[in-house]
Parts: sequence; C-alpha cells; structure tokens
Amino acid sequence: MTSTSTNGTYAIEANNMHVFYGSFRAVKDISLKFPAHQITALIGPSGCGKSTVIRSFNRMNDLVATARVEGEVLYQGSNIYSHNVDPVEVRRRIGMVFQKPNPFPKTIYENVAWGARINGYKGDMDGLVEGALRQAALWDEVKDKLQQSGFSLSGGQQQRLCIARTIAVKPEIILMDEPTSALDPIATLRIEELIQELKKNYTIIIVTHNMQQAARASDYTAFFNMDTDRAGYLVEYDQTNDLFTNPKNEMTEQYITGRFG
Amino acid sequence: MSRITPSFPEGADLEQQITNRHRRGTLGRLLFQAATIVGILALIALLYNILNQTFGLTAVQNEVDPDALVLALDEEKLLAASNTITSEDDNELVAGIEDDPYAIGFFGYAYYLQNQDKLKVLEVENVTPSPESAENGDYLLARPLYLYTTADILQNNQAVSIFVNYYLSHLNEVVTEVGYFPVSQEALYAVQDVWAVNSGLGLQAGQWTTIDPNGLGGMVRVAGSSTVFPITEAVATGIGAAGFAADIRLENSGTTAGFRAFCQRNRQTDIVNASRPINSAEFEACRDAGLRPLALVVAIDTLAVVVSQENSFLDNVTQEELRQIYTTAERWSDVDPNRPAELIHRYIPGADSGTLDFFTETIFQADLADLPKDDLVEILQANISVGLGRRIERDQRFYEDQFVFEDPALFAEVCAGAEPPAGCELEARSEANVYQLVLAEVVKPDVVKTWSLVDSLFKRQEIAQLVAEDYPNAELEFRSWLTAQFVASPQSSTPELAGVRTAIMGSLWIILITIVFSFPIGVGAAIYLQEYATDNWINRLIETNISNLAGVPSIVYGMLGLAIFVRVLEPITSGAAFGLVESTASANGRTIVSAGLTLGLLILPLLIINAQEAIKAVPNSLRQAGMALGATKWQTIWHHVLPNALPGIMTGTILAISRAIGETAPIVVVGASTFITVDPNGPFAKFTTLPIQIYQWTSRPQDEFRNIAAAAIVVLLILLLTLNASAVLLRNRTTRRLS
Repeated sequence: MTSTSTNGTYAIEANNMHVFYGSFRAVKDISLKFPAHQITALIGPSGCGKSTVIRSFNRMNDLVATARVEGEVLYQGSNIYSHNVDPVEVRRRIGMVFQKPNPFPKTIYENVAWGARINGYKGDMDGLVEGALRQAALWDEVKDKLQQSGFSLSGGQQQRLCIARTIAVKPEIILMDEPTSALDPIATLRIEELIQELKKNYTIIIVTHNMQQAARASDYTAFFNMDTDRAGYLVEYDQTNDLFTNPKNEMTEQYITGRFG
Repeated sequence: MSRITPSFPEGADLEQQITNRHRRGTLGRLLFQAATIVGILALIALLYNILNQTFGLTAVQNEVDPDALVLALDEEKLLAASNTITSEDDNELVAGIEDDPYAIGFFGYAYYLQNQDKLKVLEVENVTPSPESAENGDYLLARPLYLYTTADILQNNQAVSIFVNYYLSHLNEVVTEVGYFPVSQEALYAVQDVWAVNSGLGLQAGQWTTIDPNGLGGMVRVAGSSTVFPITEAVATGIGAAGFAADIRLENSGTTAGFRAFCQRNRQTDIVNASRPINSAEFEACRDAGLRPLALVVAIDTLAVVVSQENSFLDNVTQEELRQIYTTAERWSDVDPNRPAELIHRYIPGADSGTLDFFTETIFQADLADLPKDDLVEILQANISVGLGRRIERDQRFYEDQFVFEDPALFAEVCAGAEPPAGCELEARSEANVYQLVLAEVVKPDVVKTWSLVDSLFKRQEIAQLVAEDYPNAELEFRSWLTAQFVASPQSSTPELAGVRTAIMGSLWIILITIVFSFPIGVGAAIYLQEYATDNWINRLIETNISNLAGVPSIVYGMLGLAIFVRVLEPITSGAAFGLVESTASANGRTIVSAGLTLGLLILPLLIINAQEAIKAVPNSLRQAGMALGATKWQTIWHHVLPNALPGIMTGTILAISRAIGETAPIVVVGASTFITVDPNGPFAKFTTLPIQIYQWTSRPQDEFRNIAAAAIVVLLILLLTLNASAVLLRNRTTRRLS
C-alpha cells in the first residue's frame, strides 16, 4: 500500500479551469490540487477530458490552434496561463510522457542529452545522461549501445527512454498521459515500479484507463465523467484508498465496479 | 443455432459471387499492367529513337584526298631534283635518252614499242613488262585505262552508243596495235555488259551485240587523257573505215581536263578518256550536273622505264632504286657504288601528265600517316594560309630552332611580351600532332551522309552499295556521335567538331543558381505555411495560389524573368552593380543569374508544395516530444521537424530540379545564346544550356546535326540521372543517419 500522507504543499493546482476547442467546451470547471511528491491518477471513461486536463497543466494544448483555457492553473503561486509566463519555461518545469513512446529518431544518448542541451545545460553531459538513464531504470540495458538509435529499443524500453529524457531536464512535475497503454503487462509493471521510484523526486500526475493501475500505483485519484453536453467534469477526488474503497459518489462507484465506462 | 440471414449469398451463389469479385480484381490488375506496359513501351520508343540517331554508319569523305597531297609533295621532289628534263613530247624524251648512257626515263609502253630499236627497257623488281605481268599485277608500273560516259548519253545519243559498241567490239586488236596491253577476256566481258545494260536497248548482262555502224550518223565528242588517246584515235579511224558517218571530235587534253569538260551542266564532251579513276571532287561535280559516270576499263597501260641501249650497267631497277634515282641520288654511284660516278640525267614526261602522277604514286606508295614530320609541315605550308599558320605556330612551335610561318624576330618579340602565348613555353609539335593538324586543316574529313543505327545494322549491304555508287571516294565507318571529345568540345558550326561542353557548363551553373535561390526560399515558405501560419483565409488563399502557380506554363515564367530579372534588375543580374563588367553596354541582363532565378521561380511552387507535404508527414508526436522538453518552436522545427522532413523535401527538390534542367522555353525567353563557344566563367556570363543546344541543333538542315542532337540528349539524360542519383544517395544517407 502506498503512502497516503501529504506534507501539505501542492505542486500545482487548477482553479475553475475550463478548456475549449473552438466553441466546444471539452472540460468544465475543474478545481484540483496536486500534492507534491505524490502520484495522482486521473481516471474516467473515454472522452471525459482526462488528457485535455493533463495537457493543460504544461500548456501542451497551445499546440492545438483552436484550444483555449479559462480559469487558472497555479504553479508556484502564479498562473501558468498569464501573459507574462513563457510556455517554454512551463514545459521545462513540467515535463510530459506521452501515450505512445515517441523517442527522437536519434541515438539513445542524444535522446536524453538533447533536452538538456537546448535548455542550456552546461555541466557534465555524460553524467547527466547516465543519471537520467539510471533513474529511468534503463542504464543497465543501454549502457553499451548509447550510440544506437532510440528506435532499436523495445516499446517498454522506449517509454523508459522517454521518461529518462524528461527527467534529464530536471522538471518538478512529470505529466504522464496513459504511459503504459501501448505496452505489454511486463513492461507496464516495470513502468509502474519506476513511477514509484520517481515519486521521491518528482510530483507525478498520470492519466490512466486502467483502474487497477490507478488503484495500485497512485496516492490520489481524481475521477472524471462526461456531462450531457459532452463536457468533462470532475466527479470525485480523494486519496486513492478512500476513493476505491469508499466512493462518495454513486457514479464513481459504478465506474470502479465496472458497470460503465 | 439460428439460420444465417438469407440476404447473404449461399452455396452456388456464394461461389459465383466470389468468382465475380476475383474477376473484377483481375480486370483492374490487367488495366494497371497495361498502363505500365504502355509506359515502358513509350520509354523504349524514346530510347530507341535517341540511340538510333546517336550511333550509326557514316560516309566520310575528305575535302582533299590525302593521297593527292602526298603525290603533290612527291612530284615536287621529283621535279626539283637536279639534271631533270621534263617534256610534254615523248619524242623529245626518246631523243634525249637514246644517245646518253647515263640517262633514264619512263613513259607509256606504246612509245617504247615504237622506239624499241633505240631504247632498252628495264625490268622493275625483276619483272619484265608483259600483258600477263601487267594484268596480274606482278609488274609494278601498270594501270588500267578507262572510258567514262553515262547511261543517259548512251541512251540519248545513238552515235555515242554505237561508237562505244564498236570500241568494245574491236578493243583488244586496237589496244595491242597501239601498244598497250589488252584486258583479260573476263574483264572485257564485264565491260561489254556495262554497255549492254546501260544502252537502253533492253539488253541483259551477257547479251552482247555488235552493231554495224555503216551509214549511221550523228556526233561523238571525246576528250581526255593523252594516254588513252591513241586507242580512241585508232577506234575512230576503224569505225570511220567501217562506214560510220558521224562527226567524231577527238581532243587530247589530259584526264583532268577531260573530266572538267564532262562534269558540268553545259557538258563539252560525251566520252572521257581517263588514265585514272574519277576522283571524288570530279564525281561530285558530275553528280551536281546530273551525271552518273559509268567507268569502262579498256586497256592496261604499262610504263616502261627506259635507258639508252648504250647503257651497260643497268638491266633491272627496284622500286627503292627508282625512288633514289629520281630524287636524292646525284650520281649513279649514289644508288649503287658499283655503278659509274656519273651524273644521272633524269627524263620525266610533262609535269601535268597522268603518266607522271602514276609513276610517282607507284614508286613512292606513301601514306599520309607515314610521312616524316618535315614532309607534313611542308604539306601544311603548301595548303594553308600564312595567317592560319602563324596562329597555329603561336599556339605551339613546329620546331625548336626555326620558324615555319612566323617571322623569327616577331616570334621572339611576342614571346618576350607581357602575355606570351602558350606556344612560347611548349615543346615543339610532335609528328603525330602535325599529322593531326594536316588532317584538320587540309584534309578536312567531312561526313557526307549518315545512317541510323538500325539501318546500319540491318541494311549494311545496301548502304555499302549506295556509298560505292554515290560516294566512291568516301569511307564507310561506324561512328558513335557520343564521344569524350563531343562532351569536351565547345559548340561549332561543323557538326563533327561540335560539342556540348559549353552547354553542360551552362546547365550546371544555372542549376546551381536555381538551387541556391529556390531551395532555402521554398523550404522556408513551406515551414512558415505548415508550422507557423494560422489557418485563416489569407493563408488559404496563398496556399491555393501556390498550387495554381505550379500549373502555370513555363513560358509565362520566361516572360516574368525577362521583365524582372533581365530588364528591371539588369544592373544586378548583369553583374554591373558588383563592378564585374565595365559598362552596361557590353553586359545586359541575359546572364546565368537571370536564367537561374527564372527557373528558381518556376520550380518554387513545386518545391513549396513538396516540402509542405514532407513537413506535414512528420508525426506530431515528435513535435510534442520536443516541446514537452521545453524546446522552443524553432528548436523543435530545426532539430526534429526539418531533419525528418528532409528526405521528402529532397525528393521534391530532385523532381523540381529535374524539371528545371529540361526546361527550354523560359530560358529562350530570358535570352540563352544559341551559339556560344565560350564557357561561362561565372554567374554573370552569357550561357546556353543543353536543351537549348539540342533544340538549336534539331532545327539545322544538315543531317549530322540531328545525330549530335541525339547524342546531346543522351548527355542530358546522363546528366539528369547523375544528378538524381547523387541526390537520392544523399537523401538515403541522411535518412539512414536519422533512423
């Protein structure tokens, strides 16, 4: 059982956040606080806006031309959507791992080093790469083939490479958008173990379709659902243990017991 | 178990339905196959057409017969030797030799026979002149004699036909009587067949008929060789005695004069007496006058080399001895120490006589290629202008220690000048070099007719026959018009000398400018449109217009280039703005830069569209990965999007460049030079390109230009394939590095 205690500080919080794609409201009125150095899982049925929410936390939605965020997302006390905040810095601090492993078509070494280099890292690059790969539990597997293409790795290894790549720029928060959905159970297990390790240094927010994963790997869980106007909204947010054992909302109960979703 | 819905076919219906579906698939496949085959056939037809023109037989004819050059040189040596007496009158020769034991001479065997009591005939190479030794070729100084006329004359002038008939009927008696050796019986039959077939009397070969000339009239004109004259004269006397009432006019003017009188529109004679075969110039003249000469061999002329009967030391001479006797030797002892040390008195029949030609040709038998350098230089001196000679000599000297064309003082001055020509430094020309010069400047081999590759391969016999008839002095040789020399030579108005170097350089320069101009702009525009531009109506309008621009006819770009680059931007495109030319008067905007920029505009839409597609094909996950690491948009584009789009961009660029290389119309409008022999030396030079060169050559009237146009097409294709292949290699290398 994972620890459920918090030290009372929050890494990031959303206040009355709405996300629109053009005129369509994809997510409405989300208010959520993510405790630092904890793993928070976002669960919910397909189309309820989990990915939209998580992508709003490091302004990845900016890449979608029509996307628009209302409300505020507070990180270190300031709204990341305010005009004087550069999304580049936001993403540097809040990293992201995607659903499908997407290593760069470069060497394993370059995959890890690139982010650090463009962010102006001046220190020992070899050490940084090794450290990141060790943290991502990939070092032993790739240390002899750092100059090989990232694509030469298996799917699970690629995903850990992506995690190493994210770690290498020393973010504070790592967003994970269904990081294991494209992986087999063994690889999934390794990622889950890795996430537990990473918790010591990073705040982790993870979107998952897999309720078992949420239940066994997260400290907090937020359950989203879709409204009649197809907009996603937050149904219930609690410590994972409580949410799964004692859901306060009927919909949550139905969902976690597999009656819909 | 419920029954399957009856609306799906079952059993036989199902089988039928599946068969039908397969059938439709097969039909589609066959259509695609047919389309592919049509494409391949078109390609084969194209290649066939090009290769058919690029290789093939050619009839090469020399402007000047190299043998005539050698002959003239040798005759000059002969005539220049000391103690040489020439006379047109053979009797004078006989009289001179008769009493002089140290004299030697040569003339027709007939004259020897007339004077055999006064003279002694020598064996040549141990062969005594006789009908047998003359006919079988053992005796060196024997040659056939000819009558020339045409089938038209035989058919339209009955008197000539009858005269020739009588001539050939009584040939061997007359010839023997005159003192020549008769031709063999088979040779006589062959000549009689020529008359029979061409007489217009419907006779076949082998159907010889002797016509009785009695009472028939008309006019027969005969001119030409003094050697053949006695035979013709005897025939004329004989036919007159047989009752032939025609007016026979005999002229004794020499073979060359005879052909000159014959081969013209206003023909002066019906029959030519000839002591040698007709040469190419005469044949051409005859053909231009609408005449097709028929050659009839009537006798074997044999030269007798004679000395006085008082000469006791000479019975036999060799060819080598004859050569010495008539040129370098002063005294008899120079030829052979056993002979008296007396001066040689050389007697030669007239300088213009066919006999001298024949004698010289026979005893020297030299080939132009075998001549020593001194002789070759002499031939050059005799046949080219001093001005040309000086130019050649300035390029490279003939001798280290003397000058042939150039005034030595002047030459030294030129070499000491500010910019001494290359000839001052180079070694003297080699024998091979001078030989090439003689070929290029004097002999001037000329391709008179060409045949396609297919004809050359399958109609060789017919072609050989045609050449033998129409161009008896031409050599038939297989020629590849595509040679290293063709690629390395500049343009020329002589197709045999023309090359594509200037055009290749022009094309490459223009392509360079085109790439330098359009690649960055095209890729930049594509990046902007694909990565930065928001999806609004302006940008949509721009994109639509770019697509439309790709379909605008290239000539329109030519007009645009003319208006903008050639006219408006002339100071820049002519290089004047950079001080590269002295004045705008000499340089206009019709330069490589203008053409390159025009082609750049032309392919820009293609480049943009292709680059956009390539950028679009880069997976979004890559952009997200980059951005999620805190990279700026530009960093993501530069480090990830562009490298991954590069193979696609390169493919598009290759296609666009291929199009640019082959473009003709806009380049013509922008002002490519159609005839330029100077290689472009930079972006502000005048130029021509391969397609222009090809276009220009195909519009020339001479056949040979079509051959070199085909060869230039091959060069263009090779250039295209090379550029494409290297671009593909480059692309594959970048792709390998990335994945």
